[in-house]
Amino acid sequence: MDTVTFRSEIHGQIEKVGSADIVVGIPSYNNARTIGHVVRAVQAGLAKYFPERRAVIVNSDGGSADGTTEVVQKTSVEDFSAILLHHRIEPISKIAFPYSGIPGKGSAFRAIFEIAQTLEAKACVVVDSDLRSITPEWIELLVKPVLDGGFDYVAPLYHRHKFDGTITNSIVYPLTRALYGKRVRQPIGGDFGFSGKLAQFYLGQDVWESDVARFGIDIWMTTTAIANNFKVAQSFLGAKIHDAKDPGADLSSMLYQVVSATFELMETHAAVWMPVRGSEPVPTFGFEYAVGLEHVNVNTARMLKLFREGLLNLREIWLDILGAGDLREVERLGALDDHEFRFPPGLWTRIVYDYALAFHLKKLPREHLIKSLLPLYIGKTAAFVLEVDPMTQHEAEAEIEKLCMEFENGKDYLLTCWK
Amino acid sequence: MMDFLNLILEPLQDVLLRFKEFAPNLLAMLVILIFGILLARVLRAILVKFLTAVKFDNWSDRMGFTTLMRKGDLWTKPSVVIGAIVFWMLIIVTLMVGLGALNVGAIDNLVEQFFSYLPRVFSAAIILVVGYAVSGFISRAVLIAAANGGYHYAKLLSEAVRVLLIVMILAMVMEQLQIATNIVLAAFSIVFGGIVIALAIAFGVGGIGAAKRIIERELTEERPEKAPDDIEHI
Repeated sequence: MDTVTFRSEIHGQIEKVGSADIVVGIPSYNNARTIGHVVRAVQAGLAKYFPERRAVIVNSDGGSADGTTEVVQKTSVEDFSAILLHHRIEPISKIAFPYSGIPGKGSAFRAIFEIAQTLEAKACVVVDSDLRSITPEWIELLVKPVLDGGFDYVAPLYHRHKFDGTITNSIVYPLTRALYGKRVRQPIGGDFGFSGKLAQFYLGQDVWESDVARFGIDIWMTTTAIANNFKVAQSFLGAKIHDAKDPGADLSSMLYQVVSATFELMETHAAVWMPVRGSEPVPTFGFEYAVGLEHVNVNTARMLKLFREGLLNLREIWLDILGAGDLREVERLGALDDHEFRFPPGLWTRIVYDYALAFHLKKLPREHLIKSLLPLYIGKTAAFVLEVDPMTQHEAEAEIEKLCMEFENGKDYLLTCWK
Repeated sequence: MMDFLNLILEPLQDVLLRFKEFAPNLLAMLVILIFGILLARVLRAILVKFLTAVKFDNWSDRMGFTTLMRKGDLWTKPSVVIGAIVFWMLIIVTLMVGLGALNVGAIDNLVEQFFSYLPRVFSAAIILVVGYAVSGFISRAVLIAAANGGYHYAKLLSEAVRVLLIVMILAMVMEQLQIATNIVLAAFSIVFGGIVIALAIAFGVGGIGAAKRIIERELTEERPEKAPDDIEHI
């Protein structure tokens, strides 16, 4: 398999570092505004919790035009004593460079894995470059389970607003949990810790010229770790607040990227998930505490309008995928008033499974197939918002748990139809 | 008397002689026809088995060819239909080759014309099949994108796109087959141009009020504050 080709000065930097215990990777693209805070938090975390470990911060950049890599190089914690830290024994090196290959987060991660392998790192962490809520403790929580606990993969666990993370809550988490039997609450969180051994394993997979290099690296990392029996844990990191996303980002493309990556992994690991029944919790680290979350505006009337327009226009496509019985159920929902609109968990489970089966049987070109799921997903999200609006965070989480159980109990349907 | 007999026998001998010369050609034609028919049957059977093995019928269902056949009251499997098309094409080719073996000048010209026209038929068939598949793909993409954008007339829009593409493909096919090319080109230009003019007039005349309101609102009024969706989907 081809390896990443680094420019000669990067080779020089890697050789100068020699080896490292911890590699912290920060993929970026035009994040000059926020990456300074992330680098400072990482440096403080390494200084505070791993003062005697050799550590490297690697910024794998997608060709930013706003000076992101310069910000990384210039940023440092000037006075460690001001934040009550030990005097650091080992220096923290920084390597910032534009990665080569297919543009995408996957290629950025590949370069980080490659450096971790070259430096023979024992533990690696990757964190998003647009994080505003990252604290030095995140590094401890993502690295310690690997270095001291013998875990290979540490997924994040955040407190989020009950309306946020709906693709995760209604599709990715219930589906991954039902398929692979591990309750990893944020399988596409974006901030992960993993062992050097797992980084090497990732590098050895023949996926770096596929869609994984472009998108879907998060679910690929989580699923690959679980499906290959690596020791998986999760750490409570508090709130996840990041820079405002591009408002023009197309939701249907986002849905396509996440769902197609998840379905594609179902094809790869069919032999692994088929015999799995039920699910078990994974070890969780960190001290859980309540987090004050900002109010989230949701226009459910507009969402339900989009759902009904979808019902009107995509009926034939849905009939082919869902079958007449479930389509009738969806049509019944379309006739409900906004205030009484609810999406039964059983129906939603069958819809997701039917889409996975249609993807497997190649009923439609994959982009058409998954994008036709959008109005149904919007309807499901609107129903969830209406349902949990008067509920507490805890009660909303219980609703997600109910949905997960529905996915687990309905797995036989998927197995029966999967050929 | 002998002269009289000769007068009768000579033409008969001539006919017999010509028949003797022609008989091998006739025999060759019959042999070609028999072997051609047998070969066509065997190839049809192999092709149908191959198409079944590669799940051509499922692919045809997905691409909408089966639906098209059902609309045309054709209820056999798509793989069988393809087998039948190939069979009859081989029969026609066999017939032409067989007729060519007769070595008759007039028939030879006909056969030559037929074989020189054959590449056009093939390319027209390819344009038709690929064009139909592409038009289905594009109209579905338009339908899904428009429906996801909340556009009420998504289905109408996608049907319009599909019909326009099919009209264009049929014009290309007719042109390829050299069937009344001038008429087809003129008809296509009239229909296509007519649609564009009709749309322009419809929007220009019927939509004056709406366009005025939109421009006035853009220029003079502040946009009404819409409650934004802050929801993070991932």
